[in-house]
Amino acid sequence: MSALTFTARQETAQRVDMSPLVCQLLKDLTVTEIAAIELQNGKRKMRADELFEIKGSDTQNIVIKNSFAKLDFIAKELQEGSVTVEGEAGAYLGMGMKSGAITVHGNVGLYAACEMKNGLLTINGNAGDFLGAALPGNKQGMKGGTVLVKGNVGQRAGDHMRRGIMLIEGNAGDYCGSRMIAGTIAVMGQTGRFLGYAMQRGNLLLWQQPILSATFNDCGSHTLAFLPILFKSFAKFDSRFADATQAFNRVQRYGGDMAEKGRAEILVKL
Amino acid sequence: MLMKLTAGTVYDPASGIDGQVKTLYVQDGKFVKQPASDVKIDKEYDLKGKVVMAGAIDMHTHIGGGKGNIARMLIPEDHRKDPVHRSDITRSGCGHAMPSTFTTGYRYAEMGYTAGFEPAILPVNARQAHMEMADIPILDKGGYVMLGSDDYLLRMLTAKKDQKAINDYVAWTMNAAKAIGVKVVNPGGINAFKFNQRKLDLDEQNSHYQVTPREILQVLATAVKEIGVKHPLHVHGCNLGVPGNVETTLDTMQGIGGLPMHLTHIQFHSYGSEGDFKFSSGGAAIAEAINKHKNITADVGQILFGQTITASGDNMRQHANHGFASPNKWVCMDIECDAGCGVVPFKYRDQNFVNALQWAIGLEIFLLVDDPWRIFLTTDHPNGAPFTTYPHLIRLLMDKSFRNDMLATIHPEAQKMTTLASIDREYSLQEIAILTRAGAARLVGLDDRGSLTEGAWADITVYTENADREKMFEKPDYVFKDGELVVVDGKVVHTKWGTTHIVRPDWDNSVEKDLQKYFDRFMTMKVGNFKISDDEITEDGRGSLTTHSLNGVT
Repeated sequence: MSALTFTARQETAQRVDMSPLVCQLLKDLTVTEIAAIELQNGKRKMRADELFEIKGSDTQNIVIKNSFAKLDFIAKELQEGSVTVEGEAGAYLGMGMKSGAITVHGNVGLYAACEMKNGLLTINGNAGDFLGAALPGNKQGMKGGTVLVKGNVGQRAGDHMRRGIMLIEGNAGDYCGSRMIAGTIAVMGQTGRFLGYAMQRGNLLLWQQPILSATFNDCGSHTLAFLPILFKSFAKFDSRFADATQAFNRVQRYGGDMAEKGRAEILVKL
Repeated sequence: MLMKLTAGTVYDPASGIDGQVKTLYVQDGKFVKQPASDVKIDKEYDLKGKVVMAGAIDMHTHIGGGKGNIARMLIPEDHRKDPVHRSDITRSGCGHAMPSTFTTGYRYAEMGYTAGFEPAILPVNARQAHMEMADIPILDKGGYVMLGSDDYLLRMLTAKKDQKAINDYVAWTMNAAKAIGVKVVNPGGINAFKFNQRKLDLDEQNSHYQVTPREILQVLATAVKEIGVKHPLHVHGCNLGVPGNVETTLDTMQGIGGLPMHLTHIQFHSYGSEGDFKFSSGGAAIAEAINKHKNITADVGQILFGQTITASGDNMRQHANHGFASPNKWVCMDIECDAGCGVVPFKYRDQNFVNALQWAIGLEIFLLVDDPWRIFLTTDHPNGAPFTTYPHLIRLLMDKSFRNDMLATIHPEAQKMTTLASIDREYSLQEIAILTRAGAARLVGLDDRGSLTEGAWADITVYTENADREKMFEKPDYVFKDGELVVVDGKVVHTKWGTTHIVRPDWDNSVEKDLQKYFDRFMTMKVGNFKISDDEITEDGRGSLTTHSLNGVT
């Protein structure tokens, strides 16, 4: 069975809600039924086959081709299977995803991995603001799983994050790890201002020296035995994080945010 | 247009009609006498076998004012679960615990309600509250202005000003804020909170003004009576939610010395401190006291299980309870020299001992108060539960076996602490009509609402008799507002704008001299801007004011 492939015929002027086109909802549908699914596009509805050329039949393996930045809610609450996006993705990619894998070969918009619960989300381009964050007003963001970003991420990555791992090969914007409850964010590139703002618990693992707020205290240099184990767990990823030469076990440790619970740590490679 | 409502079974306690088959006539929005036989009937509705009541009136519901907007901002997750789409005649919004203004109007109307009264209008925020209520379609509205924790009144009391001066101030404020009643919330307590007091008993002094809640209640209840306002002083008492507060509440009833007083959401003020968990029911004692004191009225403020949000002016008690916030986020604030507010999301759980007993206490009070004209059906929306739970509550009151089935599902220790199972009373349709229509209209002081008699405005609800009272009351066949058909089969079919009910008690102009100085010195607004003019409510063409009569002024 070949992958169920949606090839965008052209870009739309208005945003599209892609949440109906997710593996678990298409499971028992025929291609004709899938073609008839109505998608919200701005204030009007359009049939799936009006927007996409649909080929293949394996609903557990969805590919979206010619994807563009107005396709929101791709793979929302994904429970099984895989979704591959060739091109850009809009906001709320993989929101609340529970299992399975999402791969994007391009940039993604705001709120990717929003309140994600489990699974693997790989973004080969850049991610927008609020990666792995909570919806506005909600108290808990990403609660599990792994997010791997090969490019840069916007501001507020990991806002209200509760659990899980976020691996960022590029740079992170301002307020990285803000209001984090727990979990791990690793950033190979530069980080912006207000790193770990109001962070309660959790780890930020950094390759570059950050600009730190006054509410983080220097706790000295340490050799931490858990780091090699952590790095070993990254070996399965197609990423620079899997590269053994990037691993380290000697870090400078900073504790904070003292304006909050103060039980979070920022570990910087020495 | 002359409309004929043929042969419905009419429940109209205001005129003593209890389930008689009767034909009603409506012309130009009001009930009229049966016209001569040659007069042409423009529209006839056949209501044979249907139950006909006046439109219901919610005499205590938080539907306007700043705290509602704080509540809306605080629980976006609740709104996301209940989006409301626009239709050709209704506007979009959101629902559940604290619905948007438009949804509030639609959902009330769809349950047969045609009026709602906001119980906590801060004078300084009154303009915003009226503007917000102006966006509530279909319903009539009005509000009680909040006094008792405002620095001006407390200064007057400290300076031992005479009752006449206070009457003038109260009447002036009611006019300025366009109110129909006066509310006092945790008398003096909200002010004491600003001076770092975290509790205030009935006879405890405000540390700055040396005034006690008892004095404040006395002087305000007297003022309301003397200026002739029909709605008695609307009291949210001291120590809300504190185990053992039943004593405070009984003392409050005693201490008012026979003056008319309305105790609101009394369920939250009816707690004992006995038993293993130091929390017990004071429901029977409270009901007995209400039965005895004919000057006292009360609404229950029933809690029902599920997610809601509590929004109150009582920031002292809200601050004390913020630890129970679920989801864990809350707001408490002081508001100028007037009062304050506290908003705490809350999830009442039937398997939580305290919540389960609160539920039972509310029902005990409903069922043990003998006189249906002095008890009112509220959930203190949204504090005990959203108003959309009213049909469920009505079923609990009207159906003993259903009530006992529900009782059997709550926390077992709470079941042991309540006498609910032994109470056989079931409310009749006539009694429900008193609680939610005739009684409410009389209590608020509405001259020509809540009744189906000639001359009254034609706010009408028509139900299909159903043994399942929840189903019956959640989906009226027809709702008419001022004679216009607005709801068919529980869905809005037409929208219109209701009026704003007010009273205009008299005051002595000299009162403004002192107020001018006070406003210039302490408030963010000039006294001229503080007063809401009639035009502000009527000039957009959809709002209107209805002034109600006063009792003969002494």
